[in-house]
Amino acid sequence: MRRTILLVIFVSTALISFGLGTRLLKAQNIVFSPTPTPVILPTPQETVVPASDITQPTQETLGPLEKMLEEQVLGSIWPKNPIKYAIRTAVESGVPANTIVLLLLLPVIAAIIAAARHLIGLRGFGIFLPAALSVTFVATGPVVGIGLFLIIIMVSILIRFILRKVKIKLQYLPRMALLLLFVVFAVLSILFAAPIIRRPELTNVSIFAVLILVLLAEDFTRVQLGKSAKVAINLTTETLILALVSYMFLTLEPLQKFALLNPEILILSVAVFDFLLGKYAGLRFLEFWRFRKLING
Amino acid sequence: MKVSNILGLNARTQLFAYKYNTRRGKRIADSKLQTARILKIAGVPIPEIYKKFRDPRDVIDFDWINLPSSFALKPSRGLGGEGIIVVKKRAFKKDSNKKELEQSIWLTTQKTRVSIDDLKLHALDILEGAYSMGNVPDVAFIQEYIGRHKAFRKYAYRGTPDIRIIVFNKVPVMAMLRLPTKESGGRANLHQGAIGVGVDIATGITTKAIWHGRQIHLKPGTNRKLHGIKIPNWTLCLETAVRAQIASGLGFLGVDIVLHPEKGPMVLEMNAQPGLQIQLANMGGLKKRLERVEDLQVRDAEHGVKVAKALFAERFADRVKAEEGIKTIHIREVVKIMSSDKKMVEVKAKIDTGAWGTSIDRELAKDLGLYKKGEVLWYKKSVSALGSEKRPVINIIFWLSGRRIVTTATIANRENLTYKIIIGKSDLTGFLINPEM
Repeated sequence: MRRTILLVIFVSTALISFGLGTRLLKAQNIVFSPTPTPVILPTPQETVVPASDITQPTQETLGPLEKMLEEQVLGSIWPKNPIKYAIRTAVESGVPANTIVLLLLLPVIAAIIAAARHLIGLRGFGIFLPAALSVTFVATGPVVGIGLFLIIIMVSILIRFILRKVKIKLQYLPRMALLLLFVVFAVLSILFAAPIIRRPELTNVSIFAVLILVLLAEDFTRVQLGKSAKVAINLTTETLILALVSYMFLTLEPLQKFALLNPEILILSVAVFDFLLGKYAGLRFLEFWRFRKLING
Repeated sequence: MKVSNILGLNARTQLFAYKYNTRRGKRIADSKLQTARILKIAGVPIPEIYKKFRDPRDVIDFDWINLPSSFALKPSRGLGGEGIIVVKKRAFKKDSNKKELEQSIWLTTQKTRVSIDDLKLHALDILEGAYSMGNVPDVAFIQEYIGRHKAFRKYAYRGTPDIRIIVFNKVPVMAMLRLPTKESGGRANLHQGAIGVGVDIATGITTKAIWHGRQIHLKPGTNRKLHGIKIPNWTLCLETAVRAQIASGLGFLGVDIVLHPEKGPMVLEMNAQPGLQIQLANMGGLKKRLERVEDLQVRDAEHGVKVAKALFAERFADRVKAEEGIKTIHIREVVKIMSSDKKMVEVKAKIDTGAWGTSIDRELAKDLGLYKKGEVLWYKKSVSALGSEKRPVINIIFWLSGRRIVTTATIANRENLTYKIIIGKSDLTGFLINPEM
């Protein structure tokens, strides 16, 4: 329970910090740079939208999402448009549209992850970890995200292995704390190596992304300790797949547009979908494979 | 097999575990110590618990030297058989050539040496929550070691096999013998590489085996057959499992039973979400079986076991078919029915594929001693030309054309009819019927 709360805090803070970050680079058409795209552009020389209204000084730096909001024509507030109006007011008072879109899409990816478990049979580490990881990927880009993750996992396995070989017997929590120390050191050394590696996303890595990755690595090592390396690798691969799929949905422009322009429909349909999913009692896709001999025999 | 006969994870959770398992029951099943406490009160045999460690002081102060030469150190809420150290005997002193026993060092079942310090550290790890769900602090305990029963000596590798029995509504519905292998490190957990062997509910004889989800016939690396192993004390095993279910308050669960070489079956642990591999080991669908017993009124463990033996007896039809081919029978046959004092009585029977099951005349069943108080499994509502009535269902064994058939039969009034028993299609697997009179 405590971990869940922590995760929620991480995700939301990451979102907010990320939202603030991207507000600086709004000029580009793709807001969340999915693949290595040059990130930091000097703000002043961005595409200038001719200001139609002088009373709105921020208009010239409007991102595509805000522009879309501007263009949508709305009817009366009730019954169909309450959230739309709320979004508009929030954006006008300075809440970044990115944050709102990411928050609106969070239930969508949660539903996707739930569906992946109950309809397909992919497990992963629960629902929050893949969701948090996908947001991390949005912030760091998938390549750097996976790279960092693999390094963190390799370090934690290596340390565990060394501790076992050297026969240093420590109690559980101090052992985990030592593990975390080495993981942090590894991440630090990657950051120190940023001038050599020269990947621009690396210099932008936020603490929240790293924290979520460390959290995932902890889950991985616990499963590895508890079950077996095979199970741990399987679960981690499934988590990564789920996170990548969620990442694709998070950065899918039509979906972002839809979420921002039709939040009521989106929320309602996700709720209905979740409900139906929770009532599904049939076999999962992978179970047809697992029990194929029973079905054919 | 129909897909709807198979129990998937979604159905397990939603249709059975959610519906029939109380929160209290789940809490009991999650903790081995609570399980032991409840079962002890209910009088279900369990391995003895020597010592519980609730806080680190207990671990430090405990008199480790005087422990017996074999025991198991376990976490109360460990997951999937994790964090368990099982020692079998005291180790010999390393440096002396004389065979002298070391008081403070034991040998585990996997032949590694553990010292008192190792055990203390392990117990502290357990208290710290290293093996529990969500790393919450846990309780460690030392339990009696249960050796291998001699019936399994040739089949299990350095560990104690156990029998997983799924019990639902006081009826044992499916069972599987789990044999530790070299790979599973003495643990009887299928995910860790143990072998799962399906067991016929009626006889306690093993049928099919799986290893890593694939069917096998021989114990890996040997040519020892895995089918045809007879589990000793089978009826008592089933009854113990049902009694554990009744005590736990869980409607649907898996009970792990170990066979103590002298003291007989004991409950090791209970599982509110039992695994589904058991279906592959038995080559049978669990969902169909669960649905068959869902609405039954079962009185007690004895009754439940009786119902299970009648409902879920393997026909061994595959093997019979392979050995003698499909038998042709006529629509009138003479069958031999086993009476309650184990005598064969010849009766003329009608083979009726229009009927679902077998039906026997009330007077005949009484004469054979099959229909009396305590023998009725349940009542079945049947609709006929005469209106609807409730008919008692009993257990029956008969021979048809040389084949032994163990099944259930409804009791009906067939006083004025030529045939005192009709045999329906559900008992006619492996037969061809020649309709000539």
